[in-house]
Amino acid sequence: MEGRRISPSRITPVRKKGHNWVKAVIVSCDMVTAYGQGTDACWKGILSGKTAISRLNRFNTRAFQSDYAATVKNLRYLQKDSLVKQMLKSLFSKTSALIPKDAKLILATTKGEIDLLEKKMITGAGDVSNCSLGHLPGKVSDLAGVKDTGIIISAACASSTTAIARAAAMVRSRLTDCVLVVACDSITEFVFSGFSSLMALDGFVARPFDKNRSGLSLGEAAAFAVIMSESRAKREKREMIGEIAGWGLSDDANHMTGPSRDSEGLILAIKKALKTACVKEREVGFISAHGTGTVYNDAMEIRAFRAVFKNEKTPVYSVKGGIGHTIGAAGLVETIIALRALKERKVPPTVNLEDVDNDALGWVSPGQHPAEENKKALITNAGFGGINAALVLA
Amino acid sequence: MSNICGIGWINPEEYGCVMRGLKVSYENKVFLKKKIFPLPFKNLGRLDSVSRMTCYAVSLALKDAGIKYSLNRKQDIGIIGTNTSGSLQSDINYFKDYLDSGRTLSRGNLFIYTLPTSPLAEAAIYFGLQGPLLYMTLSQPGTAALLRNAGNIIVCGDTTAMLAVKGDEAEAVCFVLTQEKDLSRGKACSLEKITAVAERTSRLDEVITGCIAAVL
Repeated sequence: MEGRRISPSRITPVRKKGHNWVKAVIVSCDMVTAYGQGTDACWKGILSGKTAISRLNRFNTRAFQSDYAATVKNLRYLQKDSLVKQMLKSLFSKTSALIPKDAKLILATTKGEIDLLEKKMITGAGDVSNCSLGHLPGKVSDLAGVKDTGIIISAACASSTTAIARAAAMVRSRLTDCVLVVACDSITEFVFSGFSSLMALDGFVARPFDKNRSGLSLGEAAAFAVIMSESRAKREKREMIGEIAGWGLSDDANHMTGPSRDSEGLILAIKKALKTACVKEREVGFISAHGTGTVYNDAMEIRAFRAVFKNEKTPVYSVKGGIGHTIGAAGLVETIIALRALKERKVPPTVNLEDVDNDALGWVSPGQHPAEENKKALITNAGFGGINAALVLA
Repeated sequence: MSNICGIGWINPEEYGCVMRGLKVSYENKVFLKKKIFPLPFKNLGRLDSVSRMTCYAVSLALKDAGIKYSLNRKQDIGIIGTNTSGSLQSDINYFKDYLDSGRTLSRGNLFIYTLPTSPLAEAAIYFGLQGPLLYMTLSQPGTAALLRNAGNIIVCGDTTAMLAVKGDEAEAVCFVLTQEKDLSRGKACSLEKITAVAERTSRLDEVITGCIAAVL
């Protein structure tokens, strides 16, 4: 088959030094995680070094690889409202006033209200056609109080990172000046049994970047961020929490469930993110890694960081030992935590890390430490299907 | 701005390439593999039906655009997809199998396809697509919004080429979008023109007929 080839060298970053680009800034955000309601609860929980992963009693786990997960308290399973709807209700009950009504809505999730399908198939209650992902954006739109009926972006465990990248791109390319990104996923029997079948779970609690890590712990969360053009944020006198300065999206094109052995997909995503942000490697102050706690993911990430940053050992942490792997919500939760870390100039600890893997020595630490001033944060996420996403935050 | 330089499609009776004016009727799916894929595709049989249709449409669209692929070289081409019901049927298949086992045995090979991105990922793995990969559920029906989003990914500099796929169990269509400057060779059509066609209908046959008219 003859024809053209597409080469990465021709990528033109939108942002160039000296150009008058539109900055995409986060002006409000919040979350619900297993540490409780609010960003403060999650931030303090992670800094405490104590995990929110505990024994799971939502459904029978006898057949599974693990009976531990990071669940949000007081959610009611297989009831009228899905788990994600309960989390979102709680999230927006106190924060909807912060969200402009004209914001475009992007919802990031992998399985959305999958518990409604479980309920239908276990009890016969409900309508199967109401269980597809397409029904969720309208409900979120109502809860958040925005006019837009929204779209869903799903990119496996990089869903919300990808959604943030698209939102920032929409703002920077002047398609809109305000996007509400909402992310949510929950722990249900469907999801838990699936991860167990893939032998992806740690029998106890996830230990990202630890020598003895053996899998991930599932978590659940809901979060939102309002991403706005800097000019509108200034006009409306909104607090600018941070900037989505760059992003990079890629795929390993390698394997459905396993990460690339040479990390080339993640390397490509990180390089794209640094390039679109016009940021040099030495300007990155810390990295919020995907850090699931699986043997292969963490090794793949450290290889990618070594390839990109070479001898510049940059502090790396993962929040998943604290709040578990919150699947489609992970990227947004981690972005909000990284923005707090930039603001407070603290690199959070990697919870549950005891014995640092040899490859990660000098990169990852079980304790918190100061972040350098005027540096950027790099966020990385990866998902099934070889999906990679990276963000640069300023 | 972006242009569309290839459109491949398949339904239960026919498949085709819009730019090349190709339309082929078929009766037996057994022969599709050899006719549609220029290179061997060993694992096609183990893919779920949406993934298979997605891969057929992608192969036809790449051929239509004159873009080569190889089994050991990757390209920075992205893929974005949508469909009518996400992964609902795969969700039902997985959970029914799990319930039938007495809630003791779950199968990873069924669970994998409960992600709506999995058919796109299967295509990315086989064709070596290393660009952005994402699935969208859109409030507007049809493929117009999908095309606009794919075009925006190129305009924003995230990649230089995108495949936009609408794929279900019975039919699939794939559009190849590239930067305008890449279109020195071969037939092409502006993204606006094709988006306008897609805006008028969500039916695949009508989209294809409209695209053929727009390209002529």
